[in-house]
Amino acid sequence: MISGEYMFFTRLARHLPVAMLLATAAAGTAHAATQGNLGTTSTGSVSINATVAGRVQISGLRDVTFTDVDAGVAQLDAQDVCVWSNTAGRKYKITASGSGESGAFTLASGVLTPVNYTVEWNPLFGKLTGAALANGTALAGQTSAATAPTCASGPAKSASLIVKMDTTNLQNMQAGAPYSGTLTLVVAPE
Amino acid sequence: MRNHQRRGGSWLSRLFPALLAAAVVPGPALAQEKFANVGNLVDYSFGQITNLSADQSIARDVCVYSAKTTPGYNVRASGSGAGGAFTLSATGSTLGYEVQWAPQPGRANGTILYPNAVLSGLVTGATQQNCNNGPTASASLVVMLRATSLQAALSGSYSGTLTIIVGAE
Repeated sequence: MISGEYMFFTRLARHLPVAMLLATAAAGTAHAATQGNLGTTSTGSVSINATVAGRVQISGLRDVTFTDVDAGVAQLDAQDVCVWSNTAGRKYKITASGSGESGAFTLASGVLTPVNYTVEWNPLFGKLTGAALANGTALAGQTSAATAPTCASGPAKSASLIVKMDTTNLQNMQAGAPYSGTLTLVVAPE
Repeated sequence: MRNHQRRGGSWLSRLFPALLAAAVVPGPALAQEKFANVGNLVDYSFGQITNLSADQSIARDVCVYSAKTTPGYNVRASGSGAGGAFTLSATGSTLGYEVQWAPQPGRANGTILYPNAVLSGLVTGATQQNCNNGPTASASLVVMLRATSLQAALSGSYSGTLTIIVGAE
């Protein structure tokens, strides 16, 4: 009995280092710091780990102004903007909202009836048309060519923002009255 | 006579190796004076970086011992990137980092190290090879992630290894 126990522990002692080695290998290959030894040269090492969060940035926006427009001619303002995303594939989604009731895309002028405008987005710069944005609804699956957050390097612009007013709304505006509103664009990593 | 010659030859054959050994092999004290050690190294974990507009750095104290009487040493570093470059890798992207060395502990910055390039003329305050007595640390190793590098990298989890080699001088 005693010799049997002895044999068990002897076998355990013989196999334990191997088992521990296998367990260590199974736990992963993460490197841990190693210390140097005293010698003519001494070498140590450390592991470095960092996680970069997904981030986006929109920049290069300018105000949109329609001045002395002909109410019989639809108006369009297209501007090139910079949208940067650091996600794999540089994907993003964009949501727009206006300053009208519940985020409606409207321009207001005091007590006068607000008028509507439409917003389109194109993930390429230099475009006059794009996908129509609905107030508060994300347009997903957009891809940016920008490689720097404000397009300071790489492509100078990466998308087109198009604001349109049709003749119906233009004709509903009172001549000489100043209309204004704010369009807010929110981009998010995808 | 033959016996005498045999004894004389034996004496010479013992003397020459002894002289040779004395000429080319330094004594223990001389050999140990060339020794150096780097220790007390700890991994650098930046966690999730959400502010990509600011530099991120971690400075850690390490122990460098030199047996030289000066006690001088040099240091060089290499990363796990191509050619020893200081880069971390993730799937489909790399993240460059900067390495700085200060020959005093408790420093937030130091002299920039370049991959595989020796920074010499350093002096350590360590009096024991593992800093077990005397100063508990003798140098600072700083790893810095520049904002420009963070913005150039894709989102994801990055890892790499930094190797430090010290030699007495």
